[in-house]
Amino acid sequence: MNQRVVAFEKALVEAIDEGLLMLGESGREVVYFHLRHYYGFTKEDVPSNPHILVRCLEKIFGMGARAIERDVIKSLYRKLKLEYVEKKSFDFMEYLNEAKAQLKGDKW
Amino acid sequence: MLKIYKLSLITIIGLVALYTFQGYYPEFIALFSNAFPPLIAGAAVIVSGVSLERYWRRISDKFSAIWLYFTCGLFLWFVGEAVWAGYTLIMGVELPYPSAADVFWLAGYIPFFIALCSYVRLFGGALTRKTLVLSLAATFTLTIFVAFALFIPVLEAGDDPFTTALNIAYPMLDLSLFSVAHLGLLVFWKGKLGKPWLLINAAIAVNTFADIIFSYATVQGVYYSGHMIDVLFQIAYLLFMVAFYVHAKEF
Repeated sequence: MNQRVVAFEKALVEAIDEGLLMLGESGREVVYFHLRHYYGFTKEDVPSNPHILVRCLEKIFGMGARAIERDVIKSLYRKLKLEYVEKKSFDFMEYLNEAKAQLKGDKW
Repeated sequence: MLKIYKLSLITIIGLVALYTFQGYYPEFIALFSNAFPPLIAGAAVIVSGVSLERYWRRISDKFSAIWLYFTCGLFLWFVGEAVWAGYTLIMGVELPYPSAADVFWLAGYIPFFIALCSYVRLFGGALTRKTLVLSLAATFTLTIFVAFALFIPVLEAGDDPFTTALNIAYPMLDLSLFSVAHLGLLVFWKGKLGKPWLLINAAIAVNTFADIIFSYATVQGVYYSGHMIDVLFQIAYLLFMVAFYVHAKEF
């Protein structure tokens, strides 16, 4: 696998860890439990299925999921040394794809 | 999960029926209305404590702190209920208002408010500025309306300043809780956490209504142990208890 892809996925997993920490360790663990129990995914599976994380968070927090997703994205952009620009409407997948695109130039 | 809702509904119907037909057992209802609140408030503290145990890691952990504040708030309200019961059932004071119980009830609002604020603040970014402004404007209007509706009869009653302040303080404090809690409901409405937040809002709304009526009733001198208002306070505790149970179950 492309090294950049591996680095991106690693950064995303770490960003999820950091983003969910806004709930505290206990809250983060509960989210991982939901991810595992209801979707059969671990956090390591999220980079290849990011929409599952979005679905899981929305299922639990409703509109509140956006606050967590935003923290995850900000953390990811920081890790990838990309500039995070706040948009009027937030879309996790859009930001994720943009991060990939910005890093592109290289092959994914 | 459906079981807990059914059980709560049956309990609410039972309580309302018990208070409705109190004419047949006035002595029992006087005893019940003083003895039951510490029990239901105590049960709410236990359920909140179980949630605290579930979410607890350390005080610096946000979720741990939130549940510690919720439990502290409910515990202080439970102590308030226990002190009131002590006055009425042991010391034979007919209407211990104002009394030491108020110190605990008032103190309970502080950690409860902190808990609600901390929880909602975590997800504050999910609310649009427009929603925030609209909902705060609605709460402000409601507060002004309640304040004016209360101020006139409470001030006209000519009670001592402390009693007058209490008659106004409780509904206002309830509204301050509601001003934050309804934001939580807006944030979590479509998620699993929407259910417990709906119940928290319902509990606060019932409590607010009960406190407004209580203020009126005491000002008019028509409140007595076993008054229909008491059932509202008990329903509020029940709703808090179910809210925290559902929260721990859903998340």
